[in-house]
Amino acid sequence: MSFSINSFSKAVSIVVAVFIWLPSCALTNSAAIKETSDSAALYRKLRIAVLPFSSLSGSPVPLKNLRNSLTNSLKKEGLNLLDQEILERFIVERRLRYVGGIDRVTARDLKWQTGSDAVLVTSVELYNEDPPPKISLTSRLISTGSNPAVLWIHGIGLAGNDSIGILELSLIEDPRILVGNAIRNVSTSLAEYISSGRYSAARERDIIKFWPSVFYRSPIIEPGMKYTVAVVPFFNLSERKSAGEIMALHFVSQLRMLGNFTVIEPGIVRQALLQMRIIMEDGMSLADADILFSELGADVVLSGKVFDYQDYTGDLGKPKVDFSARLTEKNSREVVWACESHNEGDHGVFFFDWGKINTAHRMASEMVASALETLVE
Amino acid sequence: MTKPENILKFYLPLLLVFMTSCGPRAASTNFHDPEMDFAAVRTVAVLPFNNLTTDRLAAERVRDTFTNGLLASGAVYVIPPGEVARGISRAGIIDPTSPSSEENARLASIIRVDAIITGVVREYGQVRSGTATADVLSVSAQMIETQTGKVVWAASATKGGISFIDRLFGSGGRPMNDITRAAVDELLDKLFQ
Repeated sequence: MSFSINSFSKAVSIVVAVFIWLPSCALTNSAAIKETSDSAALYRKLRIAVLPFSSLSGSPVPLKNLRNSLTNSLKKEGLNLLDQEILERFIVERRLRYVGGIDRVTARDLKWQTGSDAVLVTSVELYNEDPPPKISLTSRLISTGSNPAVLWIHGIGLAGNDSIGILELSLIEDPRILVGNAIRNVSTSLAEYISSGRYSAARERDIIKFWPSVFYRSPIIEPGMKYTVAVVPFFNLSERKSAGEIMALHFVSQLRMLGNFTVIEPGIVRQALLQMRIIMEDGMSLADADILFSELGADVVLSGKVFDYQDYTGDLGKPKVDFSARLTEKNSREVVWACESHNEGDHGVFFFDWGKINTAHRMASEMVASALETLVE
Repeated sequence: MTKPENILKFYLPLLLVFMTSCGPRAASTNFHDPEMDFAAVRTVAVLPFNNLTTDRLAAERVRDTFTNGLLASGAVYVIPPGEVARGISRAGIIDPTSPSSEENARLASIIRVDAIITGVVREYGQVRSGTATADVLSVSAQMIETQTGKVVWAASATKGGISFIDRLFGSGGRPMNDITRAAVDELLDKLFQ
């Protein structure tokens, strides 16, 4: 009898516990949902100014068309964009000529004069209509106001022959289709970020294939620590125009993804270099680095050299990227991390171009991601 | 009794081996100052290498690989090239690829280094033999102690070139970056011997 009473009381206590636990669970879930929807609503309210595109390609690019395509695509995603006329008026009034980044004063004025909360800066790295067409571009969202920060950054490099399929059925020969794919990719990524407030899950990378040929990490740098990093344009020794700026953008992009690095907006770094009249003869000197540490409040400065940054035209060829990078730390005034990496698009490709990389952008992106693994692992 | 033919058969190869060993020894491509305490060298500066090739970037590429390799070894700290360039400018060195003892001393006092490394890239690029082609790199480097101005280490390395396999199959040799890394590794091995 006593056994049955005990088991009855146990059952009652379990039922009571479940009844207490369930509503609390529902409360937690609803709170989480409310929080997510609140942040999503907050992000949805962001008014974004889409700046005219800048070209780092060194060849003619239909920048206006590309910008219009991206604007339309972002509108379709439901994003709140600043009226183009208001932005144009601001650009004319401010005599804004450099659109590859944004400095503190412009970010502040953009906030107060136009009411935009963020600005979208897009740099076109490659645009080639010759079959198979190729396009590479990098977009980044920067907050406006007195303290601009890189909120989101996304780069993409596509070629018409990236996945040709059986009997070349998937070969893209129309540049408009490729541009459409690239623009869609960028706008979807931005919309995802704005709706969720975070990056979509990173895809799996072939780290071993793109592992740097040599790297050094000083014990001074601690992988778990938070650092504010200023990425300066790389010293360009290649034949490709603007390769130094392109490599710097790759590092900004990958460092932003890592999470434990606060990346200073490249436009602010550029403004500091111009204001302080810093000319890098053969890379960053310690005196120049000291100026950047104090001016930008950076803990580390990343600089480097680009020896090769080659894309190719047509069917035959392969991209080639060769760079070295260094990270100088503020307190020790020492190089705390350095790496050297070089790769070609057909590295590790043996049969029918299977696995070949067709744009320098994609390859450089993988190489930089692998190089930074040695910094944080 | 041993037959004279058997004696000849036994001693002739020995004689040949002995005679070849008496020939001139191949000159070593590595020099270490026996009086130098290399453990005392903590910080070094790698100056721009002298470029004797037609490739305008050859010296800069090899220097960069050498600098990174030396830094990655963890044995010494290598001053970044931007700081070296600033030192060269402030010391008023006219030809940084072959500085004089006074210039070395001036540079060392500005950028505070224990030793300076200079180098020469003698060959960089493709060589051809018949129908076969391959990349080759030939580089030499030397370390100068800044206190005394003495050369305390010198070595050279040559990598790449046309191998028997290249001639047979016409493979075209290894990529230039791999050859550069192999040559630099050989130089560093010789330095830390």
